Amino acid sequence: MVWLTGGGLVLATLMIAGLLLLVVFNGTLTFWPKKLTQITTHAGMKYLGEVSRSEAYQHDGKPAHRQLLRTANFDLFGDHFKWISRHDVARIDYPAEAWTVERQEWGLFVGFLKEVRIDGQPVSQTFAELHGPARQRFHQLKSMEKNEIGEVNRAIEELRLDLRRIELKRGKESPEYIRAVAETTKRETELQAEYAKLGAEVTRLRAEDARYTVVLAEVNGQTKEQKISEIVRAYPANHLNLLQQIGVYASRWWEFLTDEPREANTEGGVLPAIFGTVMMTLIMSLAVAPFGVVAALYLREYAKQGPLLSAVRIAVNNLAGVPSIVFGVFGLGFFCYVVGGGIDQMFFPEKLPTPTYGTGGIIWASLTLALLTVPVVIVATEEALAAVPGSMREGSYACGASKWQTIRRIVLPRAMPGVMTGLILAMARGAGEVAPLMITGVVKLAPELPVDGHAPFLHLSRSFMHLGFHIYDVGFQSPNSEAGKPMVYTTTLLLIGLIALLNLSAIYIRNRLKKRYVGAQF
Amino acid sequence: MKTLTTLLAGLALASQLTPAHAGAVQVDPAIPAYTATSGVSGNLKSIGSDTMNNLMTLWGEGFCKSYPNVKLEVEGKGSATAPAALVAGTAQFGPMSRPMKDTELDAFEKKFGYKPAAVRTSFDALAVYVHKDNPLKSLTMQQVDAIFSKTRRGGYAKDIKTWGDLGLEGEWADKPISLYGRNSASGTYGYFKEHALFKGDYKDEVKEQPGSSSVVQGVASDKFAMGYSGIGYKTADVRAVPLANKAGETAYEADMDNVYSGDYPLARFLLLYVNKKTGEKLDPLRGEFLSFVLSKEGQEVVIKDGYLPVPNSIIQEEKRKLGLK
Repeated sequence: MVWLTGGGLVLATLMIAGLLLLVVFNGTLTFWPKKLTQITTHAGMKYLGEVSRSEAYQHDGKPAHRQLLRTANFDLFGDHFKWISRHDVARIDYPAEAWTVERQEWGLFVGFLKEVRIDGQPVSQTFAELHGPARQRFHQLKSMEKNEIGEVNRAIEELRLDLRRIELKRGKESPEYIRAVAETTKRETELQAEYAKLGAEVTRLRAEDARYTVVLAEVNGQTKEQKISEIVRAYPANHLNLLQQIGVYASRWWEFLTDEPREANTEGGVLPAIFGTVMMTLIMSLAVAPFGVVAALYLREYAKQGPLLSAVRIAVNNLAGVPSIVFGVFGLGFFCYVVGGGIDQMFFPEKLPTPTYGTGGIIWASLTLALLTVPVVIVATEEALAAVPGSMREGSYACGASKWQTIRRIVLPRAMPGVMTGLILAMARGAGEVAPLMITGVVKLAPELPVDGHAPFLHLSRSFMHLGFHIYDVGFQSPNSEAGKPMVYTTTLLLIGLIALLNLSAIYIRNRLKKRYVGAQF
Repeated sequence: MKTLTTLLAGLALASQLTPAHAGAVQVDPAIPAYTATSGVSGNLKSIGSDTMNNLMTLWGEGFCKSYPNVKLEVEGKGSATAPAALVAGTAQFGPMSRPMKDTELDAFEKKFGYKPAAVRTSFDALAVYVHKDNPLKSLTMQQVDAIFSKTRRGGYAKDIKTWGDLGLEGEWADKPISLYGRNSASGTYGYFKEHALFKGDYKDEVKEQPGSSSVVQGVASDKFAMGYSGIGYKTADVRAVPLANKAGETAYEADMDNVYSGDYPLARFLLLYVNKKTGEKLDPLRGEFLSFVLSKEGQEVVIKDGYLPVPNSIIQEEKRKLGLK
């Protein structure tokens, strides 16, 4: 029996460790800068790229070997990758001056930096000197478009909605409405003028930006002129020392964690997805904790034990086994359409037919997940309540405390660590769940975060991005699946790390609670 | 399919104009670049095809570069959701990977009194993929039908189960063909059923995948596999098999020339439906978005997503139809 149980444990541990190792190994290696290999074939063709993997195969019945080269330069050749057989290789070099260039659009470019140009004329400054200021201009442009121009647009939209509100309330012929129209028109002209001014500034910056370019040449000599500001990162791949390699590695991780995605999610960062995942898990915990604890308290402390209660308990336990997509459909039907639609009718009639709450959003997704995880909390809380010794309750009653006083002062504090354990399990389950989210508010690309600097600061009706859905999207929907695969591992690693972090902080809080009550016992 | 073929026959000339660049697809140089105007702002929503999900997102990203105050929300749950959204007015654009059915057109006409405008934005060539080491030379449409379908409406004499049935020798001869396909919610599933299976039924052995990309990944990791997916999802691990309309005819590669000339049997237009009354002008927001899609930049986005751009003749025709400059 010892061998059977021990063997079971070992098997389970090995499987989990193996899976974790696979994810960690593949996930951490993704961003390490790879060397650029130049392969010349017997036919005289040259290929330059990162070796992504190699495999054995049968060539005319004989065992042979081939390598998958990430040749990039999609805009020039229409491929990202190429298989090259060892049979065809005449020469392998690692050219010292080969560069890997990561671009804002079109993915990687591998090749050589031919010359740096200003106004189309070659200049003596190096790429490195011009790249920093060019990126600064790029970010300045981005923030102008997003913040200042965005501000004007928000104001215009607000005006339009105010007018519509008055129209709905007073009617089109009312004097208030006519006055409001005049007011709005005047204000709108001012805003338009402001917009034109900002627009002119943006155009000026853009023109300035377009002056700085770099000419890139691929290995067979074809060239491409690229704006310097549109290059995210560039490095001489075969010429890096360890410190520089670590620098590129760190800067890629930084970009991954703090930037927004680009190129339909296949490149750039996942900040909105991290934000969405954490926020959704927190809202879910806030909803599920009181709800689950109150339900368990009633079941254990107040309700009369009997067949009805057993039936309720069985129902709660069965709820944990319902497929999550069923919860998703329920969430869509009940929360989004019924509750959300009602809120829209009552509070946001001016925006209709565009729904505000009557469609998928972070609040509905969180509530759906709260429903999904509530059985876990109820069961764990009940166990914890049952574990509080009866003698303590009796002692409390003997001192003249009422039932509620006993629960609040004696039972709940002692059950708290158990409740927290339930909550941790619920969070772990909720943060990794994707299926119900896909229909209750997660989208491929959300232009805005659910929290920003505009009143009411917290926009619970907004749809959001989620790491789990991001993995699905990059893994199954991305056109360049070969390049997407490492991103899937990295995102998975990040999701696991994030859940571990959430759990660790919950465990930390639980331990502090435990200490507090153990210390306060006598 | 016939209408597409006849349309394409007229484009054979255009294909000769395209530069013979090795590998890379190029936008027809005659297509004018996009010029931004002022005073365009607002929210756009697109509901429809999941094949065009990435395409709409990329067009949105490109369009917002000229107009940072425009927000485009993209929802892609399948072509069938587009007509309903256009009728209800919840979306301004309905991307579809197949033309609207008569019932869908009627529902629209009943509400508005006119038919929606269909904009031909790009081509997709549906490809039949095999593993890169597979020696298979070509397939006829009847063979494709016999491989994927249990009803064999195409008229092929017997069921094709193994690679040996397709004439491969050696280790391939007795290996069964492992089939990969899309799930039934997808427009690609429907299109392939209609045009490659001659409206027959799929075999039960077809492994249904949640995305076009996972079909390709399945074929890439399984040496004896075959699957169908859009040409945009091709990787270095798989090969698209040339297809012939009938036995004895030439088989054509799924490339730009053969799609333009109408020779490739599984080419389709990717369409963008809009609510436009005949003779009336489009509002600036939608008009500018369509101008962008039908510009040099918009067509470059098509290439970036792996699909095939349309030639200038179609662009001009579409612009005339929409009343755009």
